[in-house]
Amino acid sequence: MVVYSFYIFDRHTECIYSKSWLPPPAASSTDILPPTHSHPQQPPQQPPQQPTSSILTQKQSSDNAKLIFGTVFSLRNMVRKLGGSDDAFISYRTAQYKLHYYETASNLRFVMLTDVATLSMRNVLHQIYINLWVEYVVKNPLSPVEHKGGEGVRNELFELGLDQFVRGLM
Amino acid sequence: MSLPPCVSLITHPPIHYCRHTNITFPRTVFALIIINKAGGLIYNRTFHEGGLNKISTNDYLVLAGTFHGVHAITARLSPIPTPGANRNSASSAGTMTRPEPPSGLEVLESENFRLQCFTTLTGIKFLLFTDTTQTNVDLTMRRVYEMYTDYVMKNPFYQLEMPVRCDMFDRKLLSYIREINNR
Repeated sequence: MVVYSFYIFDRHTECIYSKSWLPPPAASSTDILPPTHSHPQQPPQQPPQQPTSSILTQKQSSDNAKLIFGTVFSLRNMVRKLGGSDDAFISYRTAQYKLHYYETASNLRFVMLTDVATLSMRNVLHQIYINLWVEYVVKNPLSPVEHKGGEGVRNELFELGLDQFVRGLM
Repeated sequence: MSLPPCVSLITHPPIHYCRHTNITFPRTVFALIIINKAGGLIYNRTFHEGGLNKISTNDYLVLAGTFHGVHAITARLSPIPTPGANRNSASSAGTMTRPEPPSGLEVLESENFRLQCFTTLTGIKFLLFTDTTQTNVDLTMRRVYEMYTDYVMKNPFYQLEMPVRCDMFDRKLLSYIREINNR
């Protein structure tokens, strides 16, 4: 199985964390991310390393995050309308990829894009919430309550833990 | 699945059992929705009460429109760079290597139901809502599409892109789905 990317959205519909495990496209002018060193693409405060392409990439990925949120939000509402208010949207699959969704009681949304052969990743997202989010973000005394622009989420332990966890899955 | 497609469609093997226990699963199809290429609802029928919440026709129209939009977005969200994105090589190779266009949402899973979407080449979407345990909906979908082509498209009074009001289609569909649901 292959994990392509991972997103966290807060209850204000803002993307507070995103990460991609995709290698940069070989013959493209706009690269996405260096494969080994990864950094959240979302926060606008992040100093751009390569002035033009990095800004462009950030814009692209932020647009992508918005699209993903819109999709997930619409589908979740659709599912709740049809399946009852206790129903939960789990995943959808296209011919190219599969999107997994997990929502906590506090409306925190975890989204993961993987290849199509992957089975349900709901428990994996739940694990990320319990073992990484709660441990390293919620229990961090320096972390703010609201994660505006990804503040408090981009800490070393969380990022390291997430990267190790996901690479362990692959 | 070893049968050629035409044979499997005609004979249509009705047995869907678990290979390990040989117990037949209750296969339940909740509803069918057909959306035309503009995102309008042209057919909507519920087969099994209690599977899905009852929502008004207006809500179904909204749902069809929403799904149409989401379907278009999901096709664009593909994280894998398609070979077609590399325009230089694509143009030099000609039309022979034109890649498959990215497909939109095909299967959606929730805790209470499963939604299978089939898009025809002409852009009409068939949405089948089934039980979560259903896995081989492709066959049902094919049969439904076949019925659509037979009893809707061949109906001389049917106008394209307009709501489907064909008695024959209704009857055949209903008896086919009932057969599945009562199995």
